[in-house]
Amino acid sequence: MFIGKSNELSRRAFIRRTGQLAVAGSASSYALGLAGIGEAAAFSAGNDYKALVCVFLYGGNDHANTLIPYDGANYQRYNAIRSDGANGGVALSQSSLASTVLNQPQGQVLTDDIRYALAPTMPRLKAIFDQGDMAPLLNVGPLVTPLTKAQYQSGNLTQFPRPPKLFSHNDQQSTWQSSQTEGSTVGWGGRMGDLALSSNQNAMFTAINATGNAVFLSGQTAVPYQVSSSGAVLIRGLNNRIYGSNNARAALSTLLNTHHGHVLEADYTRSVSRSITYGGFINDALASSGGAYDFGNDSSLSTQLSVIARLIAARQSLGVRRQVFMVSLGGFDHHDNLIGSHEALLGRVDYALDAFYRATVSMGIADSVTTFTASDFGRTLATNGDGSDHGWGSHHFVVGGAVNGGRFFGRAPQVSVTSDDQVGRGRLLPTTSVDEYSATLAKWFGVSPSELPSIAPNIGRFSQPDLGFMA
Amino acid sequence: MGDVAIKEAEPDAADSIPVAEAGQSPGAATPLAATPLAPAAVASLALATAACGGGGGSSSGGGATGGGGPAPVAVLKPSSDAQAARFILRASLSASTSSIDAVKSQGYEPWLDQQMRTANAQSGAQFLADRGYERVDNNRWYDRQNPADNMIWSQLMSGSNSVRKRAALALSEFFVVSLNPISITWRSSAIAAYWDILNDHAFGNFRDLLEAITLNPAMGVFLNTQGNRKADPNSGRVADENYGREVMQLFSIGLVELNLDGTPRLGSGGQPIETYTNDDVTGIAKAFTGYDYDYTGVGTTVATDGSGRNIQDPLYARQPMTADPAKWRSPRATGYHSDEAKSFLGTSIPAQTGAVQTLKLTLDALFQHPNVGPFFAQQMIQRLVTSNPAPAYVERVARVFNNNGSGVRGDLRAVFKAVLMDDEALADAGLNDQRFGKLREPMIRFAQFGRTFDAASASGNWDIGNLSDSGNRLGQAPLRSPSVFNFFRPGYVPAGSQAAANDMLAPEFQIVDETSVAGYINFMDSTIDGRGSWMRDVKARYTAELPIAHDAAALLDRLDLLLTGKQLRQATRDTILSALNADAVTQTSDDPTKLRRIHTAVLLVMVSNDYLVQK
Repeated sequence: MFIGKSNELSRRAFIRRTGQLAVAGSASSYALGLAGIGEAAAFSAGNDYKALVCVFLYGGNDHANTLIPYDGANYQRYNAIRSDGANGGVALSQSSLASTVLNQPQGQVLTDDIRYALAPTMPRLKAIFDQGDMAPLLNVGPLVTPLTKAQYQSGNLTQFPRPPKLFSHNDQQSTWQSSQTEGSTVGWGGRMGDLALSSNQNAMFTAINATGNAVFLSGQTAVPYQVSSSGAVLIRGLNNRIYGSNNARAALSTLLNTHHGHVLEADYTRSVSRSITYGGFINDALASSGGAYDFGNDSSLSTQLSVIARLIAARQSLGVRRQVFMVSLGGFDHHDNLIGSHEALLGRVDYALDAFYRATVSMGIADSVTTFTASDFGRTLATNGDGSDHGWGSHHFVVGGAVNGGRFFGRAPQVSVTSDDQVGRGRLLPTTSVDEYSATLAKWFGVSPSELPSIAPNIGRFSQPDLGFMA
Repeated sequence: MGDVAIKEAEPDAADSIPVAEAGQSPGAATPLAATPLAPAAVASLALATAACGGGGGSSSGGGATGGGGPAPVAVLKPSSDAQAARFILRASLSASTSSIDAVKSQGYEPWLDQQMRTANAQSGAQFLADRGYERVDNNRWYDRQNPADNMIWSQLMSGSNSVRKRAALALSEFFVVSLNPISITWRSSAIAAYWDILNDHAFGNFRDLLEAITLNPAMGVFLNTQGNRKADPNSGRVADENYGREVMQLFSIGLVELNLDGTPRLGSGGQPIETYTNDDVTGIAKAFTGYDYDYTGVGTTVATDGSGRNIQDPLYARQPMTADPAKWRSPRATGYHSDEAKSFLGTSIPAQTGAVQTLKLTLDALFQHPNVGPFFAQQMIQRLVTSNPAPAYVERVARVFNNNGSGVRGDLRAVFKAVLMDDEALADAGLNDQRFGKLREPMIRFAQFGRTFDAASASGNWDIGNLSDSGNRLGQAPLRSPSVFNFFRPGYVPAGSQAAANDMLAPEFQIVDETSVAGYINFMDSTIDGRGSWMRDVKARYTAELPIAHDAAALLDRLDLLLTGKQLRQATRDTILSALNADAVTQTSDDPTKLRRIHTAVLLVMVSNDYLVQK
């Protein structure tokens, strides 16, 4: 099924109506909201479900110690570059990688016959790879157009455009999420949300964010709803007396729903109204899914993915058929302490992605939920002694029942700080663009080919709008 | 943005927001703003002869001081309590009736000069020492973070004059160091030393501040200058680029070339011009090699927990780092500073130049870059006055950065005065401009609460802890930014917002979401009456409010003045007043009854939009 724009006018009217409902909003009015929103269900038929989950690794994940060259010749190259003589350096030992080698299928030959191992702390992702539901995507990063090293070095930005503000954390986070640098307001997850709004009975739950504000989930009309890891936070003063006073409770409600036209007050009130109007509904739905899918407190990533799993389990109560989610884990800016700290973080990623994947299996919807990683950028292959510095292209993972896993996608970079697929110190020049990555996911999600440029604005310049990693 | 801005609240008002034309100042297009008034028209002017020769005065960009000459200088004074409070609430952390009286009688600039000259009563380091947080005992303070949280809340909530601390807090969001990842011994002492540097230099010179933060151990650990070694051609090791990159991107020049008014310069093709390339980063990175902790005078104490661990004195976390290897913990004959030639931003430092001289040349080059003035000015205006200053406002402040009137570049006292005393900041027009002002940051709200209502710590430790969690705490903790990019970015635009539809920036909204807005109300609910677990040690006393609690209107007048500068609208006042009057309180009511009314009034004011957006 492809989502089109045919219902655009109706959808806009529908959005406007939900806006009006929020004006009348009070803590208990979500039921009223649902009554009106129900009309929207007529816009699309069917009751299948699909969800995309973006796992953003803030700080710039060190790809070279995430997916490590394991075969003899390439490991030697890696070790020569990443070790620092008697001072140690940041190379993982070859022996530590033996149990997480990813064996590609017969016939898949990568650059320089490279074979990769996952970081030693990622045995669970290795197992999911082996069963065919995880695929690594090699050397992916933001590009405006395919670019050679010579073109990059020419500095001719008119003839050979490249993403602005490369190697800058905030700007490359934004570029990964929205194709534009800081200040951008529409991300590709949000654009998919825009197109999915009309598939959902309750459009406000189309894009759900379990981490801090980020542009990825913001659409032209879709606005992400933020939930904490324990669900929605409700305003106690609206449900109880305030310091013993009922009158104060009524005044609080009035004040929270009132502004006087100031732009910033209006925007603040919008968040408050959404919180009040939908928070109770979300928590009711979460309660209906019981205590299942508690992944424990391994990390903030596992608690975020836990609440996403509970929301997916409650998808029918929430009235949604297409959803886009975002979760994140920070701390990846390993200019130092790469050895030890980075592996520990990857272990948390491994634990959380596996727990979430198994939750979707147990719900019987593993084929309908696709999880993928993203990050600010990759890092240098060269070391500064105990860490690595900002790079560009990186390796990422796609997990789910609909993934053509058990093999690699994209082109493996040479293990080098001088080759033509890097721009110095082993900063990878991407050979696959984020637009190709997003377009492949969007196509699976149901976005029509004609809508792809609104998700991946540069896709027309690349030869592979579908990288093939999704079934 | 598209043509439709979603307004989920008050759609009837949705189209009433005028959209500014490109390049127009935020105030200009608002029908409600009437004719923009010069401050002279709204405030009383008093004439006084310039005292003390004026010195580097006449630096305010507001045009209040004329074209020079020896003529008497006009002293601008607020004409009302509200104008005085509005000014004080930007310049400091809280207003009081006495500070309002002082500004009214002295005038803006003389009052500000006096506050800026005053040193803080206690430094962060002194607080830690006084409270026993630097003792080596079974509390193992040297491994703990909460002394740092207590230190900063003590600093923000106590001590009389808070003008310096307000500036330092704004600086802490520009030169960001976060306690979170600094896992070194005495991390609380390290961050306290950083806070003290910001206070010591808040009204000094930008260049000195830049050097002080560069060599501070907390910054050294945070952005990896500490222990950064020169390249080793044999192993292929290269210098760490972290500080070199961020000192350019965030602490001095920014990513794109700026006009003096803060707008980007455009190159051929209409695109912004990036200020540096990655070659500049690898070049400047060499300048920050070879530094490590200075152990001069640092002794050790054996831990009392039986671990046998030797704990160095916290002094090591306070002293500027040094490139002199004789002063390191394990002294060496030769250091690790790169002796290669260093080239960046058009500056070339010859090979074999020593670390000290290299640092001077490097920081001088950054400091002299034409971007620094507008880049810094815009963000200080955003922190203290408004998220969307007119370009001309930025330019006025940037000019003062470039020259304080006496030929000095980077005079921060003059810069902060220019920010606070600009026409655009002081004019009443801003009060009716629907795009003017900024969202008060949560930590500013909480600090203001504590100071305004006479909060006191029973133990003296200000044991408040980490308030970062947005679901069940304040959602912002000073000196605990999630990264060097601060809690929010100066260029943040909330998606699908009216701000976006009006081409406005709204930095503080990066931490506004459905969780944090509810979390804030719950936090204040439990803070105001002291029942929150974070308020066990620190209680507001409401000393001045108890005697007037029976008079709801008088109580509300006081809160309106001190918390908002009388920016509560009539409808908001009516709502609050009728709620207060609905529960009877008389002069003879007991204190718990009076306190309930006070608590209610404070909560309702501090969750109102009129309060949250500071105009």
